[in-house]
Amino acid sequence: MAQFWLAFGFGLVTASVLAIAAVGLSLQFGITNYINFAYGDFMALGAYFTYALNSEFLHLNVWIALVGGSLCMGLLAVLFNHFLLGPFARRFNKTFYVLIVTFGLSLIILNAIYSIWGANVRAYNMKIEQVLHIGPFLLTRNQLIVMAISVVMMLLVHLMLKTTRLGKSMRAMSDNTTLAMTSGIDTRRITTITWFLSGTLAGLAGSVLGITEGNVTPAPGELFLFVIFAAVIVGGVGSIYGAMAGAVLIGLATEISAAFFNASYKLDVAFVILILTLLFRPNGLFARPGRA
Amino acid sequence: MPAFWYYVFTLIFFLFDYFILAMGLNIQYGETGILNFAYIGFVAIGSYVTGAVSLPSSAGTGQQYILGLSLPFPINLIIGGLAASALALFVALITLRRLRTDYLAMVLISLSLVLWDLINNYVRLFNGADGLYNVPEPMASVFKLTTNSFVPFFAGVTAAVALILWFLMSRITRSPLGRTFRAIRDDADVAAALGKGVFRYQLTSMLIGAFYAGIGGGLIIQFGGSFNTSAWLPGETFVIFAVIIVGGVGNNLGLLVGALLVETLLIHLPAFLPDIPGHPELIQYIDAMLIGILLMVMLWFRPQGMIPERVRRSPLLSTFSKSDGQQVVVPTSPSSVMTATDSAALRNVDEKDES
Repeated sequence: MAQFWLAFGFGLVTASVLAIAAVGLSLQFGITNYINFAYGDFMALGAYFTYALNSEFLHLNVWIALVGGSLCMGLLAVLFNHFLLGPFARRFNKTFYVLIVTFGLSLIILNAIYSIWGANVRAYNMKIEQVLHIGPFLLTRNQLIVMAISVVMMLLVHLMLKTTRLGKSMRAMSDNTTLAMTSGIDTRRITTITWFLSGTLAGLAGSVLGITEGNVTPAPGELFLFVIFAAVIVGGVGSIYGAMAGAVLIGLATEISAAFFNASYKLDVAFVILILTLLFRPNGLFARPGRA
Repeated sequence: MPAFWYYVFTLIFFLFDYFILAMGLNIQYGETGILNFAYIGFVAIGSYVTGAVSLPSSAGTGQQYILGLSLPFPINLIIGGLAASALALFVALITLRRLRTDYLAMVLISLSLVLWDLINNYVRLFNGADGLYNVPEPMASVFKLTTNSFVPFFAGVTAAVALILWFLMSRITRSPLGRTFRAIRDDADVAAALGKGVFRYQLTSMLIGAFYAGIGGGLIIQFGGSFNTSAWLPGETFVIFAVIIVGGVGNNLGLLVGALLVETLLIHLPAFLPDIPGHPELIQYIDAMLIGILLMVMLWFRPQGMIPERVRRSPLLSTFSKSDGQQVVVPTSPSSVMTATDSAALRNVDEKDES
């Protein structure tokens, strides 16, 4: 049982990272209505920006570098949308084209990371932490901070969606872009802001992943992307709250299974959950009607 | 044999192999509109299974793998193709009916990542991260081939296989089956409204495409003698997409041109370029970025590819339009052309030649 609670603690950490990532992906999907296959690489790039600020240029404290790295990624996401994805999405009616472009963008970013930082594993410059015993859990202070960041981000996203004018416009666009446009919402502006938020959350997720794992690699672009997809699909594509719930479910399931089976099959557990969801609730556990 | 000719025949092998792979992805994506981002996974399954059935039993080889049947050349290849199709059947039954394009693409890319992870970790299946090696050179003992003469010989075999598969594929794309595929690609709802079982056709297309993927993968492992997880990272799928999009979606000849351009210029050109001192792998990374940029430029300026899809006009279209009293609007973009001709052709012809 002790082992279960230990794994539960690690699961909460994974779920925290996953929730930030999944909400960022869902926000952007809800507005632009196509999946960003480069999202995992956005995460990796954000993590490397944080690394650059932390260990290469300004030698900032990792938590300050993380804010800077995330915002850089947000700005870069706006540029990607403005010069690449936006034009493709407007020009071609079929989502095929823009999906392939995001797939290509993923390849370009991944190789750009390899060109600049090389294939070696990097680590953030931060203090090595004592492990704290909190009830049945064994966590480092950094992991606790990451969980706190995640909870705060979820609350902020919730408040933004429900109480601000921006959030209201975003929800309107997510429901029906044309109707939102005719109601006087500046859809281009909302799209730009959404990309900024999505990119920032991706960068944040990548950086906190690097902090919790203890190393920075381009791997989120490949394997972690799939775990995000699993969380998003299990929660119901396009639903922000579904994405949060899916992240908790997938995060807990992968870590708890790792404690009892071979840890190398973590991803396969997520995939099995994904397939079961597709078989029995194809629209996700918290689907909104009329989607998927 | 001089190293130069050795290299040329290697290029010829990969040209035709990529042609086969591109044909398989083209029938899924180019003809039927299934965005299969897991394509390289099917290639890998074909490759592993072909290797595993041609190797002798695994005891004493220092490798761990299933099967080990020592099967001779054409049979092992066909089993590899069928194995890839079997995987496609499993995937398609779960996903195709339930998901629209982009969710399907998400699930498929997840599939390829998980398959990669599984084969990497579950060593008993296909020897884990080391992959299969020492796969016997096909027919080498029959024709008394040496390592040197094997390369040109097998490049020729691959070209022959590619031509046979090309012939079969052109039969499929010209048949009512191919026409239905294209109608589904252009508008699945219209095709369904005209009485086509969209799911059944998409499934057929997945199976045919996966078979081609398996054959292409099987040829790779037989040519090189080894195959491991470093050879099929998800980015490889993108290279095959690049071949299709550069060459021309929905055009088999265009695929050969695309394979020539992408494969030869962008993948083998770096071998001739000098390394940047101190950064031995930089060329390779820049090259991968160039493939991505080339594809985006192509998509923007010439989305129909180097050799565009042929406008297929049914001879019945003119009579149909006349009798209807409507003017035939000559459309300009390939996709609207296909909608006009294929829907018309479907209405007119299919009852006759499909029943």
